This record gives sequence, structure tokens and C-alpha cells, in this order.
Amino acid sequence: MTSREEALLTVRDLRVRFPLKAASLFAPKRYLYAVDGVSFSIARGQTLAIVGESGSGKTTTALAVARLIDAYAGSVNLQELDVLGLDREALRAARRRFQFIFQDPYSSLNPRLRAADIVAEPLPPMAADARQRIVDDLFEAVGLRPEQQRLFPHQFSGGQRQRIGIARAMAPQPDLIICDEPVSALDVAVQAQVLNLLRDLQSGRGLTYLFISHDLGVVQHMCDQIAVMYLGKIVEYADRLSLFQNPLHPYTRALLSAVPRVDPTVRGGDRRLLLQGDPPDPANPPRGCRFAARCPVAETRCHQEPPALRTLRNKQQVACHLVTEDAVSPLG
Amino acid sequence: MAEVKLDAPAVEAASGPLREVARMFLKNHAAVGALAVLLLIVAAAVIGPPLYSDDPYEMVWAPFSPPGADGFLLGTDYLGRDILAGLFYGARVSLAIGLSAALMSVGIGVTIGASAGFYRGWVEEVLMRFTEFFQVLPTLLFSMVIVALFGASLQVVTIAIGVVSWTAVARITRAEFLRIRELEYVMASRASGAGNLKLITAVILPNALPPIIVQAALMVGSAILFEAGLSFLGLSDPNVMSWGQIIGSNRPYILDASFTVTIPGMAIFVTVLAISLVGDGLNDALNPKLRQR
Repeated sequence: MTSREEALLTVRDLRVRFPLKAASLFAPKRYLYAVDGVSFSIARGQTLAIVGESGSGKTTTALAVARLIDAYAGSVNLQELDVLGLDREALRAARRRFQFIFQDPYSSLNPRLRAADIVAEPLPPMAADARQRIVDDLFEAVGLRPEQQRLFPHQFSGGQRQRIGIARAMAPQPDLIICDEPVSALDVAVQAQVLNLLRDLQSGRGLTYLFISHDLGVVQHMCDQIAVMYLGKIVEYADRLSLFQNPLHPYTRALLSAVPRVDPTVRGGDRRLLLQGDPPDPANPPRGCRFAARCPVAETRCHQEPPALRTLRNKQQVACHLVTEDAVSPLG
Repeated sequence: MAEVKLDAPAVEAASGPLREVARMFLKNHAAVGALAVLLLIVAAAVIGPPLYSDDPYEMVWAPFSPPGADGFLLGTDYLGRDILAGLFYGARVSLAIGLSAALMSVGIGVTIGASAGFYRGWVEEVLMRFTEFFQVLPTLLFSMVIVALFGASLQVVTIAIGVVSWTAVARITRAEFLRIRELEYVMASRASGAGNLKLITAVILPNALPPIIVQAALMVGSAILFEAGLSFLGLSDPNVMSWGQIIGSNRPYILDASFTVTIPGMAIFVTVLAISLVGDGLNDALNPKLRQR
């Protein structure tokens, strides 16, 4: 996608695993591979969306990128900074370069702090008046009134709380803002407001987003590139237009089918693809393609060898044996 | 059902959590009454001795003078000592031991519970097994052993009570930490560069405090009871007048002069009841689920 020179964030072959409870003390240690070799990059001022269903590893990926959980392999580079190689002190200093906007506006704000103090929390130590100026500016930027700075979180609505969360994330002028399902806990009307705010802030301040969502409908309005994750792996990685106009992977098709449309006659030109069953147990992934068991077009080969993520002639990346080099999906 | 306040101003005053707690507490009449009684007892403990008598051990009159007779409001005990003077002095001791023992067990309990709940893993395993070890010890027996080993001074009695009663605080603190550490605002603080110590003391602990405060309040009451029990058994400092000691020393005469035992008993009962009611009121005021009603 983005060439390496202009990339702000480059993630290569990121792997995160969690130890499983051993059956006995002497049984070999088993792991759940939540993120299993994920690579992507984001250019400054752009948005990469990671989409996928619950358990696909998208949030784990985001947390590992900011080193809020530890990856056991791979690399994360924020410009020249090797994030996974930082020691404790260097990591704490680098923390302000990544900020988070969380999913749940009710648990993401400390109930004992006033709104102004929440927003100022990620700021480095500085004089009180300089700090106040920054907080004033941020409150205005996210559309909150100055007198609301003295209120406590419980005195705000969900949408307002999310605005506070956005202001907090912008406070230390981070290189990257990771939005972890920032609107999925909000009413639809409020969702649109918050998404518009995020977009306006991006164009006004040149913010870079890593946007995590399970909802392609939300992502459609937000991102430049999309990575679709399934069970810890990226199955399709493309820029927004290609992905929405020509979704290649059967799983991407299924996700797109799940986006509700206002006009029932328009369904992207294809019939709806509804998935049966649940994703396989990530502690015990299948040998071949991880999606094969639910895939409507899976062949014998799909069950036996895992497809690698390959780049097609039109630069779209997909991990499916059945997609041709000319970007023709097996579903037609 | 929650009332919808239509005439509420668009921006309500920035009432802090503390003021809201005070407002909720004041709504609970039993707790407010109990708090008044408690303040009265504290006042009696502070100003009683200098105003009334400076020596509760002084034999001032004939033994077993009933309450009200001969100018002694609560009568005299088996050595002719003024019981009211004993109560005033005993209040000091009981409250002091209750408070410092509770403070001590909160100190131990919060430290252990917070470490276990925050760090998880083997730290939690070790600390919680340690806590369970203390939980299964018979508390009265264990504190009697401590007092027997180290002598019956006020400090030793306080430590003995503190050492046997911190386990509940540790468990409560750990449970709160386990819950709160997973909340997103903790992760937000971590993403802002907060270290572990700051997360524990400045972010999680303030939010874990409400149930700990309630437990601490209730523990003051149980520590007073505990001290009374120890001194009733003759295991407290004999040179310091406490309520339990008055009961213990007058025990042989319980049938002949029951007032010598029941009056200090009432003092313990009223104090512990008041503390429990205040603790209950605090619990309701600090519990956000009840707060919605």
C-alpha cells in the first residue's frame, strides 16, 4: 500500500499469543494465537481501518501496536522508533506518541476526575496556564463548552463523554491515534456526529488514525485503507474504493452483506452472502485456510494448505487460493 | 424509578462525588442519628476526664453504691471506684484502640490486596495464600497468643487486633482492583505514560475506596468489641481503664451488683451499634447502585 518511506507506522509480522491453562503441570505449554502474523502500514494523515468480527484479533493488534500488551514476535516501527524494542523508561516516554479512543465511553473516563483533568492527563508536566490553554483549545475543538470542564464524567451523555475521550487522545499531539470501536457503544445519531468530528479533526490537524471496527458501514466513511481480519490473520488488505467496489475474499463479501442498506434494490450488485456457524476455536485453528469451514466456495486445497497474503496485479492484497491474479473473486 | 427532573438546569453545578455522598448520607436518618451519638461519645472521651475526674482508679466511695445514690450518677464498682469516671477514660481507650487497629488492618489489607489484584500471577497466588492462612487462624486465640508472648500493653493489643482482622480488607481490595484494572480509563492512564505505582495509588485506589471505607468503619466497631473481649479475659493492659476491663473486673459480682457490668456493656453496645449504623449509611451513600433510587 503505502511505500516504506512515507509510512508513519509500519507493522511487520506481528504476533501475539496468550498462554492457555495447561491440562497438567507437565503438559506442554499451549498458546492461543490471537494475532498471527499481521503486517500493515499507515501514512501520516491517513486512516487504516481494521475490521473483523469479535475474536478476530483486531483489538489485540491495536493494543500490541501501542505495547499495552506484549507481542512475542514481529516489529512495530513508528517512524524511526522501534516500539517493541524499547525498554521500560523509553517506553513510558514514547507512550504519549500513541493515544487511544476507547469503545465504552462509560468506563474510559476516570469517574473521580473532572473533565478538564481527564483531558490534561496525557500532557507532560507543564505550567498551569499553558496546560489550561491546551485544555481550552481541545474543548473547543471537540465541541464542548468551556464551563463543562469542571464537570465530572457522570454529568455527561455518552456522546459528550466520547468527545472528552477524543480530546484526551489529542492532548499530547500523538503521532497515531488508535480508535478502538469508538462509536459502537453510541446511538446511531450520535455515531454520525462523532465520526464527523473525527474526520474534521483529521483534516484540520493532520491526525493519523488506526481505526478498529466490526462495522464496514462505519468504516466506509472514515478510512483510506482497510485490512479485514479473520481469526488473527489479515485476509484482505486494500484501499477503500477497491475493497468496496471489488471485494475479493469471500469473508469480505460476507461482511459487506451484513451492512444494512437503505435501498433494498441496491446490494452491491450481488446476492447476500450469509455465513453459517461460528469461527473456529482460535486455540485450535484449522490446518488450511482458517475460513474454509464457513466458506461457500472452499475446495479441498483450502482445507489443506493455508493461503498466504499475496499482492495482486492491481495492488490489492488477499489471502485466498481461489482469487485470480487479475482480482477476480471466486464468487464472481 | 428514577425521577426525571424536567426543570434541572442545563449545566448542573459541578457537584463532586464527595458532595453527592454527603447528600446521600444525610438522607439516611438512622445513620445521621448514629453519627450524632458517635460524636457525643467522642466528645465525652475528649472532655470527660479533665472535666469530671482525673483518676478513674481512685476509690472515692463505698463499693457497690447503686447508680444515682450518694451523688455518683452511675454508681461505684467493687472497689468503690466511680463507674462514670471509668467510662470516660474507657471511651478514650476503646476509641483509640478501635481506630488504630482499624487503621492498621486497612494499611496491611490494602497493601496486600492492591498488590495481589494489580500484579496478578504469582504475586497474587502467594499473597492470597498468605491471606487465607490468616483467615483460617482462630482470631481470638491467635491474638491471645500474641498478647501472651509480647505482654499486655496497649500497643501489643492494638497490633494483635490489627494483625488478625486485615484479611477482609485484603479480599475486598483485591476484588475491587481486579474489577477496576480492566476498565478502560486505567488503560488510558497507562497509555498516557503512568507507571504502575501511579496506577495503583492515584488511579485505581481512589476508585476502589468506597467499600474499603465501609469495611474500615465496621472494623472500628469490631476492634472495640475485640478489645473488650480481650480485657474481659484479663489480657489487656491492667494499668489502662477500658470498658472491657471494667466488665471483666466486676464479673464476680454480676449477680449482686449487675449495674457494674451492664453499664459499661451498654456503652460498648451503643458505640458499636452507632459505628455500624454510620458504616451502613456510608455504604448506602457510596454505593452507586443505591444512589440511583
